[in-house]
Amino acid sequence: MNAAAPLEVALLAVAVALGVGVYAVAVTDGLVARIVAGDAIRPGAAFLAPVRTAAWLLTQTRTSTERPDAAGWALAPALLAGLAVFALTMVPLGPGLVVADPDTGFVAFSAAIAFVMIAVFLHGWSPNSTFSLIGAYRYGAQALSFQIPFLLAMLATALPAESLSIVRIVEAQEPLWNVVRQPLGLPIYLVVGLAVSFWGPLNLPDGSDLAGGTSAEDAGIAGLLWAVARSSMLVAVAAMGAAGFLGGWYGPLLPGPVWMIVKTVVLLGAIVLAGHLFARVRIQAFVLVSWVILIPLALLNIFVSGAFLL
Amino acid sequence: MGLRSRIARFASAGPVPVFAVAGSGMRTAVQDLRLQPDVCLVDTPRAAAILLIVGPTADADADALARLHDALPHPRATVAWQGDDGDLLPTLRATFRDLLQGLRASEPALLPDTDAVAWRDVGPYGQGGTGMTGGTPYGRPMAELGIDRDGLRLDVLPVTLGPFFPRLPAGLVLEMKLAGDVVTDVEVVASRYSVPPLAESASPFIRALSGPVPIAELELARARDHLRWLCDALIAQGMPALGRRALRLAHAVKSGEGHRVRAFAGRVRRSGVYRWSLPRGGGLPADRLTGQGLGPVARAAGLTEDVRLDDEAYLALGFAPYATDADGPSGWWQVRLEEAARSLDLAGRAAGRSTTIVGRVESPRGRLAPGDSPTQRALALIPDLVIGLEWGDAIATLVGLDLDLDEAAAVAPPQTLQATA
Repeated sequence: MNAAAPLEVALLAVAVALGVGVYAVAVTDGLVARIVAGDAIRPGAAFLAPVRTAAWLLTQTRTSTERPDAAGWALAPALLAGLAVFALTMVPLGPGLVVADPDTGFVAFSAAIAFVMIAVFLHGWSPNSTFSLIGAYRYGAQALSFQIPFLLAMLATALPAESLSIVRIVEAQEPLWNVVRQPLGLPIYLVVGLAVSFWGPLNLPDGSDLAGGTSAEDAGIAGLLWAVARSSMLVAVAAMGAAGFLGGWYGPLLPGPVWMIVKTVVLLGAIVLAGHLFARVRIQAFVLVSWVILIPLALLNIFVSGAFLL
Repeated sequence: MGLRSRIARFASAGPVPVFAVAGSGMRTAVQDLRLQPDVCLVDTPRAAAILLIVGPTADADADALARLHDALPHPRATVAWQGDDGDLLPTLRATFRDLLQGLRASEPALLPDTDAVAWRDVGPYGQGGTGMTGGTPYGRPMAELGIDRDGLRLDVLPVTLGPFFPRLPAGLVLEMKLAGDVVTDVEVVASRYSVPPLAESASPFIRALSGPVPIAELELARARDHLRWLCDALIAQGMPALGRRALRLAHAVKSGEGHRVRAFAGRVRRSGVYRWSLPRGGGLPADRLTGQGLGPVARAAGLTEDVRLDDEAYLALGFAPYATDADGPSGWWQVRLEEAARSLDLAGRAAGRSTTIVGRVESPRGRLAPGDSPTQRALALIPDLVIGLEWGDAIATLVGLDLDLDEAAAVAPPQTLQATA
């Protein structure tokens, strides 16, 4: 057991991870888009463009629709960002560098993921507008489908640790990372992670066929907050993937937190790249694959992992 | 200088968020804006600072245009562009900068911010009409009960799509009914085409109606048209970056370069678009399409209808249409991509040959003749294609049809055209 870092340090680490992570996602996303499109790369513009867009959104006034649920509309991005922060406080960012390490850390993290559905539905419901409402419906179907495979894929990581504490789950990977021990786990987790943060091919609630879906009516700060909240959730999902499957802070030579950053960035990069290379999945196909393929695969993953531990 | 103006000054050098409305004949001009690094074409007016109106728009769309204008958040501005003058980008940049730095006032609303219809104090309980819900709240039809696909009675929501829905051509208005996200009814209300924009234009397909056109030019234009459609279609399936690459390819390809399109088609296939993105099947049976002359849509159903088969010049080049039984939107995609590649190869060996028949031509969308366009015939098929589909499948199907109101306008009888401003 490592000596625990003071709470202030751990909180600061979460804040920095989220701030830097959200900015890195924006820059990477812009760069990958330009590479895939075959555009000329202008490094200066790539680093500044997200900041300039954020600045513009700050100066833009908010708009309203006809009879919106104003409180719900304002609350949705706060809820999503809050869930991302809460989820990340459970994830050890280095040896001992964790805000909270309850015995039930895994359950708390999963609860945060389950509540994402409420945030996205609220965001689509509140503007009282057609496309955002359809986006909300869709996320309902999407979220109900990914919850069980998500839980099962994560649960398998708790078996070798014999604990639901996420720090113990990382520590149990010192001899062998879960990505090797449970080869099915990480792919399932990544698919579900895309769905949780509704990114790229699983961006169904805010898709282009709905002209922006749940965020179609967002302007100014509301749009900025939603984009930041969504990227925060992506960062939390990637960090948890690094902790749960890629051995967290373990690695040769470099200090623990650096390994954690490297692994999280690798997962974020994979997700952002997938976002530009793969077509949006039909909701029907996603629901079908979740229930018919992912759940049995995740169960198989648990049984095989369990059998090896006997 | 205050913090607010510092932020605004910093933001004004960023990408200009534009919601663009393509007027008659301006679809490609608007599409080409996607290649401009300083312009960001957005899908919703809420995400725009500038409403860009390119070319003439139909008078009938004036109301919708005003509502669109008022949906832009402050600070906002409108820029009108005729599509030919070269100074659009500096204008957009300067307008955005002036708007953010307060040198230009934000435009006031064009319409009063009131309820469309008064809806209070009619019935005995202060409601807006008689009956339980009473009337039409605020001018909108209420959701009503209907049978859904699972045999349950669910709310059916009336939705108007268009005339400026970003995935469809401007001017197309569809009245839809939705149960959840399933389309239960659709009616084409308006397919506004206004001035005949292509009549004297450079489109070789329109010129081929009245005289011989070099086959090399015609086939190159066909390949480019298919690749431009692919750009829109990729964006609709959630791949805007790959869509921009398709648009670049549309500009770059030359006669005889079918291999470049085939290489790109491989990339499109690897995106999983046929496997998990486009609806399965979803086309019409071949007997329903026979004689409709719907080009790639018909050829994806196994029909070999093609005006080019009647042209001796094409037959002398060894032309044979590409047909498959892939069916539905994914078949339409595959046929268009293969056709684009074959057209380029055909253009490469066409030498100096020209078309030999006049009065009809195989446009990228099918059989085109004066007063008879494939888009008009495709519009009539929309209800059969779209009813019963989930929203995403419905949009993929509509985009897959490659509706072109400009082409329809170019061959339409003059009395059917709408006035423009």
